[in-house]
Amino acid sequence: MDTTQLLKGVLDLAVLAVVADEDGYGYDVVRRLRAAGIEEVGDASVYGTLRRLYSSGALTSYVVPSDEGPHRKYYGINAQGRAMLEAQRKDWQEFAGTMGRLLKTEVVR
Amino acid sequence: MSVLDTTDVLDVAGYAAAVRRSLVDLGPELVDDLTDDLEADLAEALDDERHVAHGRGLLDQFGPPEAYAAELRAAAGLAPASTGARRVRVLSDPVEDTRRLGRWALRRLRALTWWAPVEAFLVALRPVWWIARGWVAYSALVYVLGGARLRFLPTELALWLILALCVLLSVQWGRGAWFQSRSVSWVAVLGNAAAVVLLLPVLVTVQDQSHQREEVYDSYLAGAFGGDGTRTILQEKAIDGVVVDGMQVSNLFIYDAEGNPLTDVQVYDDRGRPVRTTYDNGYEQYWFPEGTEPWSFVSRTDADGRARWNVYPLRGAPTSQFTYGDDGVQVLPIGTDASTPPWPFAKAPALDAPADASIGAEGVTPSATPTP
Repeated sequence: MDTTQLLKGVLDLAVLAVVADEDGYGYDVVRRLRAAGIEEVGDASVYGTLRRLYSSGALTSYVVPSDEGPHRKYYGINAQGRAMLEAQRKDWQEFAGTMGRLLKTEVVR
Repeated sequence: MSVLDTTDVLDVAGYAAAVRRSLVDLGPELVDDLTDDLEADLAEALDDERHVAHGRGLLDQFGPPEAYAAELRAAAGLAPASTGARRVRVLSDPVEDTRRLGRWALRRLRALTWWAPVEAFLVALRPVWWIARGWVAYSALVYVLGGARLRFLPTELALWLILALCVLLSVQWGRGAWFQSRSVSWVAVLGNAAAVVLLLPVLVTVQDQSHQREEVYDSYLAGAFGGDGTRTILQEKAIDGVVVDGMQVSNLFIYDAEGNPLTDVQVYDDRGRPVRTTYDNGYEQYWFPEGTEPWSFVSRTDADGRARWNVYPLRGAPTSQFTYGDDGVQVLPIGTDASTPPWPFAKAPALDAPADASIGAEGVTPSATPTP
């Protein structure tokens, strides 16, 4: 099964969860998602999602200057983002439970 | 992020530029917002061993830039680019396109090691361009208004004021002091582009007109327009020939000690070179004082058959008597003899004593010499 299709629906949730854990810049968020096991997410999808969550008011953004490399734009979660994260987390858990029960009965039968 | 190979940075820059080109219809601000960190993210991903397909090229890892841009755009919740509309947009916004191209070129140049000092030097020269830009604007203005002939620097107070105003506007804009609001910035950008385009034509025109001016001034000094009357010609190299009182002479007349005219006298200088008054080999026409028509001269021929032009007085005939030979050379027709032009006087004053040393030895000279 193509998990990228599944991921599309929950990428917002995954990104919110990662940023809620700790502020991060674009590729940093990609790396942490991968480290968490979400391997098949496209870099550009993560950057686009960050941008969209930011413009919808769920994230804050600030630039961290760097002496060595380029300046990086960091994203952090705010109150609205936390509320969104909680609501989506609840939705996901309900959905996952439903799917789990459904799939379980399928397997048992 | 570790130090990257230069070629990697180039690839990243090129890839990022391609992504931005695919997003161009979103407008500059949104594109910048979406792709702020793109180079850094790409470079870091390339460097990350945990990244999918690590070790392969940019295209292998991220796919074609257009697809990357489409993914970015979709994830950000922005409408996908409709190719038709995008085309039109690209065509209708050449300014933004050029600007993007410039940014891309600059990004590539900055990846080269030798560019940094060059850029620093050019940046230091920016004020020079501000002044040049003001001067170009002033010149173009004066040219359009047609008030005065273009010169490098104005000659009238009013023109100086216009120049000062143009330079002031240009420098203030260059320093970022004026014309920064979006509503007028396009005027400034347009002005800058116009200055770049006009710089060369204006320089050429001014140079041309200054040159003409100098020529006219020179001829005024030389007495044209009824000025001083005397025209002085300065030449680096002396005129060849014989000059008397600043005037080139066409013929020489020789008289002996008693003042009698001599003919067929060969004249040489101290180095044995023939002294010639004419160098045209008989083509030119010469007027004599009180003559009614011009003359042309013919040469004499020496025993070896060579033409001799240093035998005086030169002989010739009125030009009307000459005909043209088969080889186009002006010749006297057979039967017409060259004659000696009119002598200035039949007899010249005799010298006070014969230049003969033997006379002095005979004791004649003391009596002939007037005693003071």
